[in-house]
Amino acid sequence: MVSESSQSRNGNFLQKFLKERLPVEELQHLAEKKKVPVHKHSVWYYMGGIAAVLFAIQVITGVLLMVYYVPEINSAHASILKINSQINFGWFIRSLHSWSANLMIAVVIIHLFSTYFMKAYRAPREFTWWTGLVMLVVCLAFGFTGYLLPWDDVSFFATKIGLDVASKIPAIGGLIAYMLRGGDIVSQATISRFFMIHVAVLPLVTLAVLGAHMFFIQVHGIAEPAFFKKLPEEKRKYEKFFPEFMFKDILVWLLAANVLFVLTMLWPWGIGPEADPFAAAPLGIKPEWYFLAPFQFLKLIPPMVGPIEGELFGIILMSLVGLGFVLVPIYDTGVSESRSKISTAFGTFVLLGVILFSLWGALS
Amino acid sequence: MNYPLWVVPDLGGSWVIGIISIIHIFISHFAVGGGIYLAFAEQLAYKRKDERIYNFLKSHSRFFVLLTTVAGAVTGVGIWFSVSLVSPDGIASLIQCFTLAWAEEYLFFVAELATAFAYYYTWDRISREQHLLLARLYAIFSVFTLVIINGVLTFMLTPGKWLSSHWWFDGVFNPTYFPSLAIRLLIMLAIAGMYALVTCTRIEEPKFRTFMVRYCAKWLLPVFLLGPVCMLWFLSQVPHSVLGTIFTGIQNSGVGNFSILARALYISLVLSGTILLFAFFGPFLNPRGFTFKVAILFMICGFAATGTTEWMREMLRKPYVVYNYIYSNGIHKDEIEKIADEGFLHRGKWSTALTAATPTDEFHNGEIVFRYQCMACHTEKGYRSMKKLLGQRDEQAIISFLQILRERDPQKNNYSNIMPPLAANDAEMKSLAKYLASINTDEREKNTAHRSPASDHSISMK
Repeated sequence: MVSESSQSRNGNFLQKFLKERLPVEELQHLAEKKKVPVHKHSVWYYMGGIAAVLFAIQVITGVLLMVYYVPEINSAHASILKINSQINFGWFIRSLHSWSANLMIAVVIIHLFSTYFMKAYRAPREFTWWTGLVMLVVCLAFGFTGYLLPWDDVSFFATKIGLDVASKIPAIGGLIAYMLRGGDIVSQATISRFFMIHVAVLPLVTLAVLGAHMFFIQVHGIAEPAFFKKLPEEKRKYEKFFPEFMFKDILVWLLAANVLFVLTMLWPWGIGPEADPFAAAPLGIKPEWYFLAPFQFLKLIPPMVGPIEGELFGIILMSLVGLGFVLVPIYDTGVSESRSKISTAFGTFVLLGVILFSLWGALS
Repeated sequence: MNYPLWVVPDLGGSWVIGIISIIHIFISHFAVGGGIYLAFAEQLAYKRKDERIYNFLKSHSRFFVLLTTVAGAVTGVGIWFSVSLVSPDGIASLIQCFTLAWAEEYLFFVAELATAFAYYYTWDRISREQHLLLARLYAIFSVFTLVIINGVLTFMLTPGKWLSSHWWFDGVFNPTYFPSLAIRLLIMLAIAGMYALVTCTRIEEPKFRTFMVRYCAKWLLPVFLLGPVCMLWFLSQVPHSVLGTIFTGIQNSGVGNFSILARALYISLVLSGTILLFAFFGPFLNPRGFTFKVAILFMICGFAATGTTEWMREMLRKPYVVYNYIYSNGIHKDEIEKIADEGFLHRGKWSTALTAATPTDEFHNGEIVFRYQCMACHTEKGYRSMKKLLGQRDEQAIISFLQILRERDPQKNNYSNIMPPLAANDAEMKSLAKYLASINTDEREKNTAHRSPASDHSISMK
């Protein structure tokens, strides 16, 4: 009895303390008010949370890696070797960082397509969709800038090729590639720029865009697919965001973290030989898996398509696909059935294309 | 060397044993823990006079009995079968030591099966007191199968006084016997709770479902409260050189065999932590949201944790089958020196027969040495691939490497903690090198054409 009453006193004191300083009741009310639709596609609602957890893991492991990583052309590769072979738990932290980066990009892509096919981009959620698209671009930029930092031969040549492609963008491409390289060749200036973008610029952009994305989700709530909305009200099932969905979300996070840990343990991240800018490129060099689809697509285009250079033509085509994703909320507002079907067909076409070209790129 | 060997390409014989064993261990732990669960839950039903628990147990026990008796027996026989084919010399040594123990275990297993069937077929046919007695008998018999087999399993890692006395009693009650018994009992209770959680999610009445889900979640509590203490107790009894191998992996590169124990330890710890958090945020805090699918995922976590921990236990005693006594390739430790002088191939009946027809064929002899001394752990091109491990070494480089492996002094042989020393005379070592050099021929050829011309790295290359 004594311990129960003392526990209760402590609990009351803590509640009072927090209530006086924070809007606890308002937040609790908000979380309880928020509801999550329950239907056969509910599993896709967990993707955003998984991506956020993986991002958090990257922030923590990234900060730890910065303690030993040296962004200098003669030391970068050696510092990663030191992390991998001399620092206690160094290989573990680095592998966690690399695997979580890859998993995060995979989950963000799955999140994007699942949202697309559930038509969650329609009004009033256009800004949620657009900020989500920006997040995908930011994630890819994280991957591209982080890939160079170990300064091994594959990362060096992959970055060189990537920047060569970027320079083909009409008008601004050359300038962007030049600024990112810090000159005409991939060098110390490139490492410095990529490091700064990777650890300072992109995290700040992420905070802003992710914050906006979360804000719009709070404002508009979780999207319901069309088939769910058509159900009679008594057949529509919801669960409270807090505590029901939240507790399930935690379980999914735990499982995602387990997948990450198991991958880290079974296939720890290695490092290739140090980059030699004057050496020949290793045979059959390929970019990371998330750039394989555009890489393979560009390889297929002939050197000249009519009067246009092949690579430029490819970039224009891919930009049009990207534009399609940007404009889809304006095109498919939910009023026209035919537009809805065209949007679905477009998304399916792009998804199949991405899978096909990625597999082709990986196997060729 | 005294028996024919089973060649399992790519997967390797050790994984055949491993896969069957992990399934068997999970099922057998489940059988013992589940027996205790059934007895306690049935007692709870009578104490609370709750027919719903009684009816739940009737349906719960149906699949339980089927799985534990059928799958348990099939995989148990599977272990004997695969071990006899893959590691005949090793299992022969164990049988010589523990004939009596295994005979006793078999008796308890038969008693366990008999009571399991009697338990299942007598629901509502005998008095409830008698039925509860059957449940308790089943639990006791199944615990005794563990009490015996735990002696054999722990003996392999820590034979203790047996190494000098060769008395079976010293072998069974070896230094890690009691901590291992405690850990296994705790894990068994947890697995029983996890399986019961799966069946509880099928209960339709919400209040009863919530009650049962919470009750089952509590079965995981003992392992999390006492497990770490028992694990420390266990590790304190393990040879120091083994612990050194774990910490090498923590301090050094995560890539390669030296860190494998550390990596397995991480997975085991992470999965165990996951199960704890899962149990707290799932069935305990949110019993209504703990659905059948989530319970299955929870079971998979449990299975993965058990598999990893058992695999790690097996790895701990590498390179031995019985620590400090017989190596994983079936060669006794005290025979190594003699074999190095007199040769390996003519020591065993079967290896002598295999090389009799072509005594001067170096390649063939090398293959026989590879099969008997390396294939307990390696395959040519699959699991622990020799092709990958040899990389681009040519025959001369392989000979130099084998010379290191032949050293019995740990100061001169870095691999002595994870691999048996090579037991071969000079001629056999050269034969083995010739054979191994044939495995990685294409790796060396690839090296000569490794790099492309300097200009050929633009995206427009076709």
